[in-house]
Amino acid sequence: MVGKRLWPVLAGVLLLTGVLLSLGIGRVWLNPLVLADSLFQPKPNLAWLILSELRAPRTVLGVLVGASLGLSGAVLQGLLRNPLAEPGLLGVSAGAALGAVLAIYFGLSATFLLATPMMGIAGAIAAALLTLSIGRGGTLTMILAGVAVSGLMAGGVSLALNFAPNLAAVYEITIWLLGTLENSDWDQVLLVAPFILLGWICLAFSARDIDALTLGEAQAESLGVNLARTRLLALAGTALSVGAATAVTGSIGFIGLLAPHIVRPFVGHQPSRVLLPAALFGAILLVFVDVATRAIPTAGQEIRLGVLTSIVGTPFFFWLVVKLRRLSP
Amino acid sequence: MKRRWALAVAACLGLPLAALSGAGSPKKAEPVQAGKPRHIMSIDLCNDLLLMMLVPKERIASVTYLAHDAVEVLMPGADAGIAINHGAAEEVVSQKPDLILASPWATPVLRRLAGKVDAPLVEIDSANSFADIRRITRQIGDLVGEPERAEALIAEMDRKLAYLERRRPARPVEVVAWSATNGVPGRGTLTDEIIRTAGAVNLAARLPDNNFSSFDIEELLAARPDAVMRGRATYDDLSLGDAASEHPVIRRAFKGRQISYPAFLHTCGLPQSADSALQLHAALGKLPQGRPPW
Repeated sequence: MVGKRLWPVLAGVLLLTGVLLSLGIGRVWLNPLVLADSLFQPKPNLAWLILSELRAPRTVLGVLVGASLGLSGAVLQGLLRNPLAEPGLLGVSAGAALGAVLAIYFGLSATFLLATPMMGIAGAIAAALLTLSIGRGGTLTMILAGVAVSGLMAGGVSLALNFAPNLAAVYEITIWLLGTLENSDWDQVLLVAPFILLGWICLAFSARDIDALTLGEAQAESLGVNLARTRLLALAGTALSVGAATAVTGSIGFIGLLAPHIVRPFVGHQPSRVLLPAALFGAILLVFVDVATRAIPTAGQEIRLGVLTSIVGTPFFFWLVVKLRRLSP
Repeated sequence: MKRRWALAVAACLGLPLAALSGAGSPKKAEPVQAGKPRHIMSIDLCNDLLLMMLVPKERIASVTYLAHDAVEVLMPGADAGIAINHGAAEEVVSQKPDLILASPWATPVLRRLAGKVDAPLVEIDSANSFADIRRITRQIGDLVGEPERAEALIAEMDRKLAYLERRRPARPVEVVAWSATNGVPGRGTLTDEIIRTAGAVNLAARLPDNNFSSFDIEELLAARPDAVMRGRATYDDLSLGDAASEHPVIRRAFKGRQISYPAFLHTCGLPQSADSALQLHAALGKLPQGRPPW
């Protein structure tokens, strides 16, 4: 198949385009030549400040977060053998959101900048531990435990909104939950990058096992797959990478669901082959959607990233449902 | 439908009220100094602060739970022993005030209920200029029967304003009260007037959207103001906006060019809002020479 040889080129070109657009587009229009020239001008100059301190960390974070969502979505769809699986399923995103919301609620976020992402990561790990300790029995138990943990964490967020001391806090929490890459900085990138990379390693180690899992759980076990270990790797990888991602950006839906489905027709249905392309396309999708949030003219605030991914993602979800219905006998 | 619901609530609350007003009737026989309410309730932060400046504690029924932090900055300890309220209609019933100072956004239920307990509810405007502050301070002074005290506060404020008028800087510097998530106060706001009084130019006033507009960090850098004013956290300190405002690029680009101010003196028009202009005037004198380096 031509697609099999062409997709790395296509992905590379798309990712590069997205990164360049992300560096070139913002609320302040600067000529690309001026931007490029600013690297050689005496510093600080305006274009260099905007490029190096605002747009570059935002782009790097977009790539890291998008790749995490795509990769963990692909692993979970393979592990759970369910096309609707996505990173939020195991309660990790909700846990990260609760941790971050608590940081806002208790005013920690106002005292130091990294309190929100740190609490978010702690929340994600706590949620993953809870899912794991309840849902150790099997795949179905783990999904159910994940749904329960998600519900519990969402309840916690609602409680924080319920008890919010003033309207300003409610507003901050709600806006944070919508997800954004706006105002990202290098400190945030440096804080989450180790967690995200560690998560990727865990997820990559589960690749061989999820191939065997396509035959069914019993068959995979008979082939020597340690299912408990695979589940642990997938969960830990998701908790670390997606948890850290959610902790800085807020909840961003649909990328983790979309990316594996987009690449599957090109690379085939072997789960381990989907992982890398899904990660790449997750990054491409997120960077392009983030560019769109900046390019869409709005009077005041930018469109939030999570809002746009949901609006763009829902039609795809419908298409997926229709397609699956047609495929089933 | 909503109206009927509100009426039903008011009716339910009205029954015990009728009983209460019956029980309280002997009180009316007590000699009350004409024109001086003795049990004043404030359900708005800005009114809380003016009330505490104008009348002795004994005559205050309650102030809002929001007031404490601002009081600690403005007049430490002044609210010790004063009851607090949450602006709830039930509190009006239990505290039986003889005057309620509210904002123009008091709920209809509260308004109706105030009528039932015979407590005049007065809605006080929010102030957008020093002229507004004079008017509002006088209005509350008259309402609580302390017009001389109100005039003294106004005179103090006018003395500070006159001082600033005499010391206008030769070169007007451009500042902006910027925050990442909240609007940036432009023309027609108290912040704008405070900036002008201090002898500076408000960058946000030349934006097309003349009230509270918003712009992001890129636009802030491109506008190159001489200084950025940051509202110091007071009662609204639970704000991710404050944290987001601390984007490292702002710390780096506006090093020595950040001026903090107590936010409640800009939110609430108080005679002390002139102090904020004084502070700003002093801070402008300490700014590094010349335009921002980028």
